[in-house]
Amino acid sequence: MDSAQLFTFATIAYLAAMVLYISYLVFRKEGVGKAASFTTYAGLALQTVALAMRWIESYQMGIGRAPLSNLYESLVFFTWCTVLIYVIVEWKYKIRAFGAFVMPVAFLALAFINVAGISTDISPLVPALKSNWLFYHVLLSFISYATFGVAFAVSLIYLLQDTDERGSSVNLFAALGIFALLVVLGYVLTASGMKVPFWIGLGVLAVAWFTYLVMKGALNKPLVYLFITLCSTLALGLLVFMGIDYLVFSMQGQPAGEGFRKHMFESTFISRSIPVVAVSWAALFSLFALIWSQGLRIKALLKQFMPAQDILDDLTYRLIAFGWPLFTAGGLVMGAIWANSAWGTYWGWDPKETWSLITWFIYSIYLHGRYVRGWRGTQTTIISLIGFLSVIFTYLGVNLVLSGLHSYGGMN
Amino acid sequence: MEKQEQQGMVEVVADKIWKFFSSVKLAVVLLIILAVVSVIGTVIQQNQAPEEYLKEYSLTTIQLFENLGFFDLYHTWWFVLLLLLFTANLTICTLERFPYAWKAMRAPLKPLEDDGFKAVPFKKEIVVKGGMEAAETTALKALHGKRYSHQLTKEQGMTHLAAQKGAYSRMGVYVTHLSIILIFVGALIGAFFGFKGFLNLPEGEASSVVYLRNEPLWDQIMDGFGISKSPVIHDPRGGVPAMPLGFYVRTDDFEVDYYANAGRPTGMPSEFWSLLSVYDLRQQKVLEKRIRVNDPLTRNGITFYQSSYGTIPNAVGKIVLNVNQKNSPGPGETIVVMPGSSVYVKSIDRTIKAVGMAPFGMRDPATGQVQYYQARNEELINPTVELEVYRGKSLAYRTQVMKVDSGEPSMPENYRISYIDYWGARYTGLQVTKDPGVWIVYAGFILLCVGPLVAFFGSHRKLWVRIQERKGQAAVLVGGSSNRNRIAFEREFNSIVETIAK
Ligand code: HEM
Repeated sequence: MDSAQLFTFATIAYLAAMVLYISYLVFRKEGVGKAASFTTYAGLALQTVALAMRWIESYQMGIGRAPLSNLYESLVFFTWCTVLIYVIVEWKYKIRAFGAFVMPVAFLALAFINVAGISTDISPLVPALKSNWLFYHVLLSFISYATFGVAFAVSLIYLLQDTDERGSSVNLFAALGIFALLVVLGYVLTASGMKVPFWIGLGVLAVAWFTYLVMKGALNKPLVYLFITLCSTLALGLLVFMGIDYLVFSMQGQPAGEGFRKHMFESTFISRSIPVVAVSWAALFSLFALIWSQGLRIKALLKQFMPAQDILDDLTYRLIAFGWPLFTAGGLVMGAIWANSAWGTYWGWDPKETWSLITWFIYSIYLHGRYVRGWRGTQTTIISLIGFLSVIFTYLGVNLVLSGLHSYGGMN
Repeated sequence: MEKQEQQGMVEVVADKIWKFFSSVKLAVVLLIILAVVSVIGTVIQQNQAPEEYLKEYSLTTIQLFENLGFFDLYHTWWFVLLLLLFTANLTICTLERFPYAWKAMRAPLKPLEDDGFKAVPFKKEIVVKGGMEAAETTALKALHGKRYSHQLTKEQGMTHLAAQKGAYSRMGVYVTHLSIILIFVGALIGAFFGFKGFLNLPEGEASSVVYLRNEPLWDQIMDGFGISKSPVIHDPRGGVPAMPLGFYVRTDDFEVDYYANAGRPTGMPSEFWSLLSVYDLRQQKVLEKRIRVNDPLTRNGITFYQSSYGTIPNAVGKIVLNVNQKNSPGPGETIVVMPGSSVYVKSIDRTIKAVGMAPFGMRDPATGQVQYYQARNEELINPTVELEVYRGKSLAYRTQVMKVDSGEPSMPENYRISYIDYWGARYTGLQVTKDPGVWIVYAGFILLCVGPLVAFFGSHRKLWVRIQERKGQAAVLVGGSSNRNRIAFEREFNSIVETIAK
């Protein structure tokens, strides 16, 4: 048996744990909850062994390096940390229901590896990457990312409890309308060669909206509800559509991997066939409407399981107060020291560096936001959600999206 | 009232500015703006050649972005101004609050009155047998056991103990803030007095200048005002400006090692290094070091980093070979021959001619045949030399030697020829920087790691114990509070109460 097989088993265990945790919420049977926890421990144990084996395998191949050096390994390590931190929180707080929110993150991250066709080879390191600083940099960064990930799940539950009302369905249609308008605008501008200005405009809009939510969101509960709906739709939708890409791509008999990533969304959103594009968007919009209409049910379901909101708020803060120092030391400082020892520049404003700085700014806003009068609960929690979106972008988006945005950008 | 009237305009304005800059709200606003603006610079690629931008944007867009400074966003005056505003905010906010925090940290704890006990988050009353004295002793022991320092007062038949620990953790925030200020100061010093440059230096050559990416701001300003002349040499034809080093640096040797797969080099470098030596202006050698990626050489505050390499187009190097008697432990004889020419080797009485030289050859271990591969950029992945060996004027045999051989080269006579180097056809790519601010930045880095740890993992914990006589027994009231990590504090609190109760 090799590490790859063990990773597959761990993925299956996480999938099972996810299903069990969700059933636990639905059926409220203590036994199901115990089974869910047990499955999680088993998955974690399997994954731990797999990580160790991969490390040993790299020595057997004569490469000999920690399993932390490429996208595949870092995603696996990220999942491992997330589950570990979750297990600690579950054990300390004696609350199982978080599992229904955390295990999907873990499972989706592992599923993303397969769907996005990320290379699983143990490849040797280029000389610049041979540095102990880099090792600690990556290690600490991922532990903090995982902490932020669990904080994200807790924040999501907080917000879900926070929104007592979603408003009339006028809200939904207004949101769908704006969404549709942006989509059309996106296609038009992209076709006329204004892809980058469009994305910048979209980004500015998003930030404006986030800022408004943070400042005034607590008073406008339906808007917060829309925000959660949009976040969940995008997360779920992107994965499903990338899955479709993957299926189509492998049905055409082409190998996954680099090639696949260059054709992302070509079988859905940017297909040559206009009906396919229309159907794809219609599906995404329906998903949005579905989540919007069912969210309150999920909330009612959760109510019985969830601790009081101030405990959730406190837990979010504690997780961030744990992750932020690690991210500062590992993500920023050690990264800078490594860059300085390799190139003599501790800060070069390259997109990856800049995005980790942005992430750091966002969590710094979170920490300081608690001192600005009146920013409690809802507002700071929204910042925690945005912070994790920024983590994901720092980690995946910079390679997948930003380089794709430029016609001459390579994938690496 | 009177005081306010006495204040002049200047004080009022200064006061307003101070207030404005000490607000946390401003900090949050500036952080948001910085985050948003930084995103733009990641979406638009920075510092590309104009042709690249033309592929991407229309001319009007390019004009607009150019005017806004979006193509070199992080160095525009307005971005730097934002950073300066943020630093001012941080500095003033910290100065404003630090004295209070310092006082609060140093101030001894006061005993708690009844009202105070009502307000603390944790409290418990217990009755201890054995009277006041015994209760006091056990309480002190319990507090010291948890490393609290205490203050003892007695009044009206009551004994008050006020104890605390971890007061220093209140400094964590200030250490963190100070670290950011240090990093900014260090970065400014670097920009004013340091430079960044590069040097592509062929094997065997020396240089006393490097080519600049960033000229020191200080030199630019001084030169601009005509106060002192910048040492930088500007090419009147608009070439890259050069910075004199004050010494020579020479590449003695350059090598690349490649990862091997089943004994064959893959073409993926595992390590590359240069042997550099430094000569002073009188051409005396003062320093020699083999530099690798992640392991640079420093002289007079100027650091040379191994960053890249390449082959010099059409350059002809020297082939360096070693000739040694078979089974001889000695070092043998090193010979140098140019491709296409020959050299007479006295120790074996043969003339060796280097017929050809290929950058990437491999021997099929089964047949012994040498095959040649096309390497990208003529990279010397496995240099292979074809030799003809002459006895007098007549050809004795032909053979091939290479850097990494997966078989045996044919050596029919009593000696062995082996490959050492192909020298002089490559250059080493060096990043060269001088950054006098880097140590301040590093000091900031250390504080930035320590500060948050102290701030978030430490906590200022306070305990108050009041011992009172009640019916011959001691009534002990314990109260406590902690500014952080309440759960852990609660556990400690309960354990202390239990110890006292025993
Ligand atoms: C990027 C720069 C900054 C970093 C890394 C930083 C870091 C921190 C940290 C780690 C804390 C502790 C937070 C907590 O206890 O939850 C803190 C608190 C604080 N920061 Fe900052 N900060 C920064 C910028 C600023 C600025 C510009 C201001 C200016 C107004 C500011 C004002 C404060 C205040 C008032 C507190 C609360 C202090 C207290 O507990 O009494 N910070 N900061």
